[in-house]
Amino acid sequence: MNAIEVKNLRRVYRTTIGVIRRRVKEVVAVDDISFDVAPGELFGLLGPNGAGKTTTVKMLTTLLFPTGGTAKVLGFDVVKQSDPIRPRIGFIFGGERGLYWRLSAIDNLRYFASLYHVEPEVARKRIPYLLELMRLDGRGQEKVEGYSRGMKQRLHVARTLLHDPELLFLDEPTIGLDPIGARELRQVIRDLQSEKKTILLTTHYMFEADALCSRIAVIVHGRIVALDTPEGLKRHVRDLSVIELEVYGIPPEILDVLRALDVVEAVTVEDRDQKQALLVQSPGGSEAVPEILATLSGLRVGKVIVREPTLEDAYVRLVGGEASP
Amino acid sequence: MIKLSVYARAILASAEMSFRETMTDGFVVFGIFVQPLIIAILGLWMLRDRGGDYAIFVVVGSGLTGLWSSLLFISGNSITHERWTGTLETLVGVPTPLGVIVFGKNLANVLQSMGSMAVSYLLASLLFGYPLTVAEPLLFGISLILTVIAFVSFGLVIAPIFVMNPDVQRWQNGLEFPVYILAGFLFPIALLPGWTTPISYLLAPYWAAQALHLTSSGGGTQTQILVSWGMLLFFSMIYIFVSRVLFRVMLRKARIEATLGLE
Repeated sequence: MNAIEVKNLRRVYRTTIGVIRRRVKEVVAVDDISFDVAPGELFGLLGPNGAGKTTTVKMLTTLLFPTGGTAKVLGFDVVKQSDPIRPRIGFIFGGERGLYWRLSAIDNLRYFASLYHVEPEVARKRIPYLLELMRLDGRGQEKVEGYSRGMKQRLHVARTLLHDPELLFLDEPTIGLDPIGARELRQVIRDLQSEKKTILLTTHYMFEADALCSRIAVIVHGRIVALDTPEGLKRHVRDLSVIELEVYGIPPEILDVLRALDVVEAVTVEDRDQKQALLVQSPGGSEAVPEILATLSGLRVGKVIVREPTLEDAYVRLVGGEASP
Repeated sequence: MIKLSVYARAILASAEMSFRETMTDGFVVFGIFVQPLIIAILGLWMLRDRGGDYAIFVVVGSGLTGLWSSLLFISGNSITHERWTGTLETLVGVPTPLGVIVFGKNLANVLQSMGSMAVSYLLASLLFGYPLTVAEPLLFGISLILTVIAFVSFGLVIAPIFVMNPDVQRWQNGLEFPVYILAGFLFPIALLPGWTTPISYLLAPYWAAQALHLTSSGGGTQTQILVSWGMLLFFSMIYIFVSRVLFRVMLRKARIEATLGLE
């Protein structure tokens, strides 16, 4: 039996627009997705903001009803059998909310231990252990409002491990963390996987998915556009090269001209202080450089590098240049 | 049996959590202690010519105003507050039913509101020098327990209603003073026009006020006290039954409409 089985899952949000003449607007957040997660697997759901990752996690954690399709978690239906699912899973949603800020970390953990039906004598041992595991030991008596974002995130992880769940949903756990905090949290996730826990991780950081996940589903506009191992995803761009160009103040219309060139597959722009990095995926490799530079004539261009594609480039190709790494 | 003990632990944990949270909230401290104190001072001042006999009536009545206000504003907002702080999704996702968690929160709220009665008692005794004696201490204690049960249960009804109907929640302020008057907290309802009496009979706070006034000031017959207790229990059972339905409807609606979180 798979830990997670998702079949043709769909979620539509309905909202009203207008004041006098109110109209119902439908937004398809998750559009007919299917995937399975094996027990003990660390499965990644990778996609840009608004792709439907959090909506998927909320449906799998019984917090949201699907509009269509089915989903089973540990063999139980997420709509009809939410009661047996809840004690067996843990979940965190990225961000700082969801904790009682005016209370200490220990108070927060003691409270959630009671709500997860953890026996008091077990909680007494587990809380100090989890605080140490999350490097919050010595700070447990302090109010959460004084914690940094990274500390709050780690407290969330401690909270979700209180009842030792067999399946974890980690929705963008490293979002907003500094590089060191994010690296530490990724190590915690690796440690959890080594304990044979099943983990569904959502992220929009390609390197994070690459470093942690055994399989990745790339989700864009609510649809899964690719599902493979990180190596398998990289094969999507094996026939391409990436040309990185340093430019200064590139106008959007030039980007459209670039995208229309035969030698160009995808274009993304990253802001780097005063300049921008233009990442052009091209099947032509260095031979395409003159044509690209001709399109950029009149603009100040700095360094030009031609390199092999990475998972990030595969992701950019899959999401059609919408990524914001 | 196992379920009962884990639920009892969850109720106590929620009550403790709520107590720690609310006691650092200025609005709560005002509603529970300062406002009833002002009402007690005004009541005792106005009634000073009637002597000390009436003081216990004012003490109990002003305490009830604190109880009602905190029920309306704190218990009524208990789920909405969790939603605003972003903890509602986490609470809905735990194995303990949300109704059990809110019961614990309401219990803390009602018990700490009882503090306003104690403050009024001390005020009447120390500042105004009234000799305060409770006529029937044992019966008064039972009345207090039944009042706590009725108010906690009522909190379970209004919290989901306020979540599902923000328009109703806007009436919170408007519901505060009419109940002070209609439930006879500070003066007997016999002073009100006759047509308001049936409305009073439909309010659990009226029966709470009856039970507490009759047992503290004395003068009530055994039948009157028993009727008040019976009505408090009757209303409590109705509230608990209705709240179970309301919680089910509210959670189903929230999971369909995606309103557990605010994003």
